[in-house]
Amino acid sequence: MAPALELTPMTATCRSECCSAAPRFTVNELFERGFRRRRAAPLPLEGAACADSGGNFAQFSLAVAEGRIGAVNFRCASCATLIAYCELIAETVPGLTTEIARALSAEELISTLPGVPAHKHDRAVLAVAAFRAALASIPIEQGKPDHEGRLHLRHPAA
Amino acid sequence: MKVAYIFATQRHNVSYVLAKMILPQLEEKRHGAAVVGMFFFEDNNYVLVQGNPIGARLHKVAQEQGILLMGCDQCCYEREIADKLFPGIPIGCFPDLYKALSGNPPDQVITL
Repeated sequence: MAPALELTPMTATCRSECCSAAPRFTVNELFERGFRRRRAAPLPLEGAACADSGGNFAQFSLAVAEGRIGAVNFRCASCATLIAYCELIAETVPGLTTEIARALSAEELISTLPGVPAHKHDRAVLAVAAFRAALASIPIEQGKPDHEGRLHLRHPAA
Repeated sequence: MKVAYIFATQRHNVSYVLAKMILPQLEEKRHGAAVVGMFFFEDNNYVLVQGNPIGARLHKVAQEQGILLMGCDQCCYEREIADKLFPGIPIGCFPDLYKALSGNPPDQVITL
């Protein structure tokens, strides 16, 4: 005789990949989100546009405060791979200091985002070049972390 | 006459029109037109995934006869197969397709 079916009430939202609301880093999902983001208005600090020989281009804009990246937007060609790489940057660098963000490389993007065939990896190079161009547009004083508060704590009488 | 095929609809095109008409004719070298390229949309891209038996025959005949095979990049990413295609088969969109066919352009493009 079959055991009695035990019903357990669902107590939490499923967090598996099948139905989780958490964003996934797949090319397709980054492309979907990036497709919308690239229509958003540019942020205050706009970098120079970078282009490749195939007609693809990318241009990033940033919001930076106290040496940290607050937000990232971009415009780019409609290539799905390029949009996915640009969106990956836009989703992962906010909160980083500008110094750490400068160290981001195309190799890191490629290794973070599996599923892109090798002949499309050059899009990561273009995305990183455009992102670095935006970082280069940050005024020197804006790109430095704000240490003033810490100085006051160390020298309250000063 | 040179032709290119675009597999845009999904019903019976790959398993029937491609696998039972076009592909055997190409293998027998009696298709009647020089096929310069084939482009695949949506679920039709599964035929290009490494290990697919129809795709294996298509890949072989394409290499022998210089036929460009290309998958739609967004369709392949959506199905998470972009890096699982037969070796040398690129993914791309219209700019990539036109560029790839520019050296040997078709006289007719046939959408199936």
